[in-house]
Amino acid sequence: MKDTIQKEATFKSDINSVWNAISKQEEISKWFLEADFKAEKGYAYTFSSKDEGCEPIIGIVISADPYLLIYTWEVKGTNIETTVEWKLEAINGGTKLTLEHSGISNYAADTAIKMFESFSGGWDNCINGLTGFLGN
Amino acid sequence: MHYKISTLFKALSDPSRMKIFHSLVLVSSALSISQITTDFNMSRQGVTKHIKILEKAALIDISIVGRERYCTANPSTLKEFKKWLNFYEQFWDDSLSNLSSYLGSAEKR
Repeated sequence: MKDTIQKEATFKSDINSVWNAISKQEEISKWFLEADFKAEKGYAYTFSSKDEGCEPIIGIVISADPYLLIYTWEVKGTNIETTVEWKLEAINGGTKLTLEHSGISNYAADTAIKMFESFSGGWDNCINGLTGFLGN
Repeated sequence: MHYKISTLFKALSDPSRMKIFHSLVLVSSALSISQITTDFNMSRQGVTKHIKILEKAALIDISIVGRERYCTANPSTLKEFKKWLNFYEQFWDDSLSNLSSYLGSAEKR
């Protein structure tokens, strides 16, 4: 068993467009979570959701040099720090993203289960749907 | 379950413990420490040490009958954690799918 989640994705957009989408608060707010975010080392950010029952995510930006974005990730109230890393690479015809979420085993077992139960089927609502964005 | 998930990861990171847990799941009945000692050709002390770590992670239950201790697997613990990990997997899959659609629609404008 591993305690790091790794995801890879490729996009047709150029690397700067992808970088802006993951590091500019107006853009993050459109596809992810309502963001109070600055891509500056040391910035204490908050990702929140309009929906009730979605605890905000808080953390500190550790690195924000294009094209590597790293921040700590803490579900508010859990006091458990995990780390999220976004790495971008320009590839032929687009951009490759490698996302890593590590430190997940730092969670206490009962917290993890509680979190799972409270969010199960619920975090879909927490992530900003695209409906609002596409409707604009 | 007042322990960190890392306890669970640690418990299953050792090949001998993984094997003991696995065989307990397969027999799906109680095995005594003496039986495990024989089956795995290990010292009783070694088995006892592994068993304690597995118990701490709630992967097995130990019951005492007479002078012997019996172990049974508790695979539901593993299932809970698998579900929990899957939850974060799903969260990131959904988010990246949103990001992809967002980038796609931004391009078309």
